[in-house]
Amino acid sequence: MRWGMVINLSKCVRCHGCVAACRVEHFLPAKITWPRLIAWEQATEQGVEVTTYPVRCNQCKEAPCVEVCPSGATSKRPDGIVQVDQNKCVGCRYCVIACPYQNRTFLSKNKDTGYFPGHPKTAFEKKGQKLYPHQVGTTEKCNFCMERIDAGLAKGLKPGIDRAATPACVNTCQARAMTFGDMDDPQSAVSLLIKGKKGFQLHTEYGTDPSVYYIDPGVAGAASNQAPENDTTGYHIRHLSTMDERAKQIFDVGKIKVGK
Amino acid sequence: MGERKVVLTTCKSCHGGCGVRVTVEDGVIINIEGNPDSLTKGTMCSKGLSSIQHVDNPYRLKYPLKRDGAKGEGKWKRISWDEALDTITSKMKEAIAESGPFSIAISQGTGRGYNRYTSRLARSIGTGNVISPGYVCHSPRLGLYGQVTGYGRLYCDYHGWGGEFPKTQIMWAKQLEISSADSEMAYWFMHSLDYAKNLIIIDPRASAYATRATLWLQPRPGSDSALAMGMANVIIQEGLWDKEFVDKWTYGFEELKERVKSFTPERVAEITWVPKEKIIQAARLFAVDTPGCIQIGSSIERQANCGYTLRAIICLMGLTGNIERPGSMISWVLPATGLIEDFYLQIPITDEMKKKIIGGDTFKLGAARTCNPDTMIKKIIAGEAPIKVWISVGGQQIVHMANTAEVVRAIKKVDFMVHCDLFMGPMAEAADIVLPVAHWLEMDDIYDMHPRFMIEAHNKAVEPPGEAKSDVWIFNEIGRRVAPKYWFDSVEDCLNDELKTGKISWQQFSKNLVSGCFGKDQVYYKYKTDYWRKGGGFPTPTGKFEFYSKALEALGYDPLPLYREPGESPLSTPELFKEYPLVLTSGYRQPFYFLSQYRNIPWLRSFAEYPIAQINPETAKQYGIQDGDWIWLESPRGRIRQKVRLFPGILKGVVMATANCFYPEEPAKGFHGLFISNPNVLTSNDHLDPMFGSPDLTCLLCKVSKCSKEDLTEEVFKTQEFGFVQTAGDEKAAVKSR
Repeated sequence: MRWGMVINLSKCVRCHGCVAACRVEHFLPAKITWPRLIAWEQATEQGVEVTTYPVRCNQCKEAPCVEVCPSGATSKRPDGIVQVDQNKCVGCRYCVIACPYQNRTFLSKNKDTGYFPGHPKTAFEKKGQKLYPHQVGTTEKCNFCMERIDAGLAKGLKPGIDRAATPACVNTCQARAMTFGDMDDPQSAVSLLIKGKKGFQLHTEYGTDPSVYYIDPGVAGAASNQAPENDTTGYHIRHLSTMDERAKQIFDVGKIKVGK
Repeated sequence: MGERKVVLTTCKSCHGGCGVRVTVEDGVIINIEGNPDSLTKGTMCSKGLSSIQHVDNPYRLKYPLKRDGAKGEGKWKRISWDEALDTITSKMKEAIAESGPFSIAISQGTGRGYNRYTSRLARSIGTGNVISPGYVCHSPRLGLYGQVTGYGRLYCDYHGWGGEFPKTQIMWAKQLEISSADSEMAYWFMHSLDYAKNLIIIDPRASAYATRATLWLQPRPGSDSALAMGMANVIIQEGLWDKEFVDKWTYGFEELKERVKSFTPERVAEITWVPKEKIIQAARLFAVDTPGCIQIGSSIERQANCGYTLRAIICLMGLTGNIERPGSMISWVLPATGLIEDFYLQIPITDEMKKKIIGGDTFKLGAARTCNPDTMIKKIIAGEAPIKVWISVGGQQIVHMANTAEVVRAIKKVDFMVHCDLFMGPMAEAADIVLPVAHWLEMDDIYDMHPRFMIEAHNKAVEPPGEAKSDVWIFNEIGRRVAPKYWFDSVEDCLNDELKTGKISWQQFSKNLVSGCFGKDQVYYKYKTDYWRKGGGFPTPTGKFEFYSKALEALGYDPLPLYREPGESPLSTPELFKEYPLVLTSGYRQPFYFLSQYRNIPWLRSFAEYPIAQINPETAKQYGIQDGDWIWLESPRGRIRQKVRLFPGILKGVVMATANCFYPEEPAKGFHGLFISNPNVLTSNDHLDPMFGSPDLTCLLCKVSKCSKEDLTEEVFKTQEFGFVQTAGDEKAAVKSR
């Protein structure tokens, strides 16, 4: 059993619904965002390419964050989900640095401003403090909505098929760009997509073996103009975490940016 | 754990329509998600999901307010609902007694559930002067579908209810995937793409779909009529038209053929900047790979040639037989509850009301049931003062209308203005009384979707803050006081009346959630049966689909499509083009904002803090502009600042500015930063579409330059009146624009 996600880049239209659903689902504090969208826009010889990469914790099989965590707060569950135990986290932020995908956020005091700085916390925020508490001084990230998965499995539901057991972002996506399921099951929708549509992971060179795959099969019967033919390394955003000019541009102001 | 309940309702964060499931604990919303049992299958976008920060927003209006200072000064005093309603209704009665009911205007934002209340209130007091943004969004399409096919509402068949999905889809000046515009749901469109063979995007700007589509045409903004006529010419010259449909069911083919003959691919390529090969290929795909549909965007309706442009596009549908066929353009059959508009149509518009509609004598299609807002602005400025009382709900005319400086000048001259809203905003600041309105999560009402094959229930999930009330409550209360014959004892009575055709009570409908006509109940090929006309045919004067419209001819318009340049363009005003050498379009929308809304919702604002203008990197280089710079965009009317994004997906020489933006956090003075970034500071209201009166909002000329550091200092940026737009002062503006 290994939970995984396949994201169809041809379908994502940059609507940000997944980000909003995650914020609602986990009562995320004001300046915290678990999933993000990275805007990629370039002119090439083949033409213009506009692509949006929805990124979130990759729940890596070989997770650097687990290895560097000195307190045992970050651990890997048997189903592949990398989780953070907020009660054990000492806030050292080694994991934030170790994650080659920049998918972990440290909840510092200045990120917990309340939704409306200068005003009391809203009713929703107050409910969140009880129902899904966040701890200032710890590190957070996407956990594939493991609470939904666990509660769903306990009721005999199937994650990826039954809504109540499936991550909130997958459920809300109007483009149906995300598919969730068991990557160890060769017949699951995720396994079939990865195999049939040339699924690729980001930055395979790091040897992390992410559980989030991407496909780019094109829209309306047309081939994507940039889809990697036999390349499974995700060269589209090879620059993602190498701090060169291009990467700086991606995360810089003026782009559609998320959180921070 | 507190007491929990689940409420099923309908989203109205855009035009609306997505099914919503809300979890409420002790009167507080703790979760919101899509309703999986609805037609949108449990999906929702960022706007609807972020409604939580709407409901919880500390800046919400909670009580009726009365102006307590000069207009636009931002000083307010809390008053009771009784005082508010008494003041409003006595002002209305005064105006009616002194100047007639026509001196009252009722205005609204885009059609999202209050159309029938604004129009009913207007008609019940005897005025046809409804101010609606319809003339720059959706109404021109409906009006011309009506002229050409006899039925005013054609929509793309994304549902496959007739056994077929569209094989070739054209998305013309629209991104339905991020907008769910006009209640055609993004989810339906994106789902239907799984069955499409060809996707053709016609857009000056690249989108994710554009760069992966079968074909992407990138026209110069404002040249769409030439493109459509060119495509029609290719279809005719190459003999690709649907011969059976054209022979049997259309009128005026020969005249159309003659009219489009000169629009050769070469000539059209020159006019539109689209390579001729692409024009030919688009025409061939749409004509050969049928069925197909064309999704038309309102950017076309924000052009002063929108009528004839739409005529040309609709002719493409007729030439290819893409009418009433499964997977093409359909006029949907109504649900058992009938036509929701009957709620106001049952009060007929009298000849006298029609006669007094402002702009009605000029814009015979656009100002037949609502007035022409731009003409009204001009008349007020000219001192004709046709409007004494202005009652406004939802919309920000002050933001979306052309030539902001003139609109502000005119609105300040209106004797008495009421605005209903959830927040203080530019329009509210111009009012004398502001009424607090409930959010869609806080009200019981009926959602009317534009395609009209269903209606849905808005069910109250939580109580509104303070004394905020639903739109229907407010309109019913005003109506009861000024025209009691037409209004109701309670909101529930009113809703029951709206549902009477379906013989269903509000209580029951609220539980059912929807009344619709879906699947096998829908009827295709209506023109082949007695549905519209005995023996078959369309409900038009000729009984046919009219390439050549005698009705338009009778109104004094050209009976055929016509190519005309925008009021200001490289071709129509070459002298002006020398000074303003870039084509500007204000068609840029972000998926997390809806028109002028949501910059005060932190979750949504986090996605793009400032309005963005996209420029081709090579054009930017010419002006020394870099990614992330603030730039001035300037036209003969004024100048604004937006943040630049270098974007290879836009043509050289074209600037795409974000539309409809103000800054809710900015002070009342200057109307919440209305003049800082709003492209309508730049647009002109001097060139209007002859049929609909629509101004050129998405095609004009501009020049750009980099902002200096001084232009962006805190004092200048935030506090200077009108956000540092020098041309916005009353007299100065008039001088400078000459």
